[in-house]
Amino acid sequence: MQVESVDEARGLALCAAEDGARSTVEIALVEPVVPGDRVLVHAGVALTGLGA
Amino acid sequence: MRYVDEFRDPELGRVLATEILAAVEPGRHYKFMEVCGGHTHSIYKYGVDDLLPANVELVHGPGCPVCVIPMGRVDDGIALARRPEVIFTCFGDMMRVPGSEGSLLDAKAEGADIRMVYSPLDALRIAKSNPDREVVFFAIGFETTAPSTALTLKRARAEGVKNFSCMCSHVTIVPPLRALLDSPDLRLDGFVGPGHVSTVVGARPFEFIPADYGKPIVVAGFEPLDILQAIRMILAQLAEGRCEVENQYARVVPYEGNPRALEVMAEVFELRPHFEWRGLGFISQSGLKLAEAYADLDAELRFEVPGVRVADPKACQCGEVLKGVIKPWECKVFGTACTPERPIGTCMVSSEGACAAYYNFGRFAREREVV
Repeated sequence: MQVESVDEARGLALCAAEDGARSTVEIALVEPVVPGDRVLVHAGVALTGLGA
Repeated sequence: MRYVDEFRDPELGRVLATEILAAVEPGRHYKFMEVCGGHTHSIYKYGVDDLLPANVELVHGPGCPVCVIPMGRVDDGIALARRPEVIFTCFGDMMRVPGSEGSLLDAKAEGADIRMVYSPLDALRIAKSNPDREVVFFAIGFETTAPSTALTLKRARAEGVKNFSCMCSHVTIVPPLRALLDSPDLRLDGFVGPGHVSTVVGARPFEFIPADYGKPIVVAGFEPLDILQAIRMILAQLAEGRCEVENQYARVVPYEGNPRALEVMAEVFELRPHFEWRGLGFISQSGLKLAEAYADLDAELRFEVPGVRVADPKACQCGEVLKGVIKPWECKVFGTACTPERPIGTCMVSSEGACAAYYNFGRFAREREVV
């Protein structure tokens, strides 16, 4: 998924899948991430950063 | 799509298939286990199996999170879900797994408040929206999913959400692999290692496979070329007399895993002395429960849970399928009494289950054509 925006205070990011579906993702395991970064998401948590 | 399209290139697939064909020793039969249900799904979805020589056999391992949940745990979940104060939440696949007297979906049809969620974070959101109800999350899955549960429990604690708890049925991948390798039923030549579990635990925990059992393992991604390349790498190890852990999925899997995920799991969970796996029986130190510091969020302590062991239906041979002893179509009820619509066994429920993969992608053939 691609990071669209980051809520640093809550450790969450709004991410979009390739089909455009958006979901809130826990980013504690891959911080820091910035909008535009790609992350591998499983069960609502970004497990790995894949870079921009 | 980046990281996807380039790993589905048919021309490169044909090149790899040719290399695999050239790498196999004529007259030798190779048996490789793909550990992860995601691999099983990809293999049959993309027809990877059809690109392999007849003497390379893929055996489907125990890495489907839904498939390994025993009936007794489903019954425990249903007992919790039937409590009037409880909103029971779980992943969609889990809702169709049969217990001894029906599934969570059946219990929902009978009036239990059971809701499908995509993540534990969704379950926590439900708890915050329903402060007068108790929200229980049925946590299943391997180390891939466990960090998500752990982070959500930490978040529940930090945000002071008191009406949220977790029925923890997380499992770990190494003990069942060791149990399979110790099993006299199965002779394997190598492993296609689990990709997503390895994003968390890394490739290092699999070093026991070459070290103690003399088998190669290649951690692999989930696109068709990932799997073909991993098979090519295993064959190269065998041909060169090497035996080691290799990482084909390096674009995602760091060899040491994700230290933050391991840290949060170590904080929130501890190993159960033993845990029952569907079809595999009890395996020591293979399941996770909430650590003492998080006991107040443990649904099994907050509520009374039957905890009764239930034997699998006699007709169902999920155990043999999970151990790779039989192919799905060799099960007596495959595709007749047991279908994805009306599953008897767990392997027919999830898209990652070997039986569902065979059924959904029409892999009924008992003989493969030689490439």
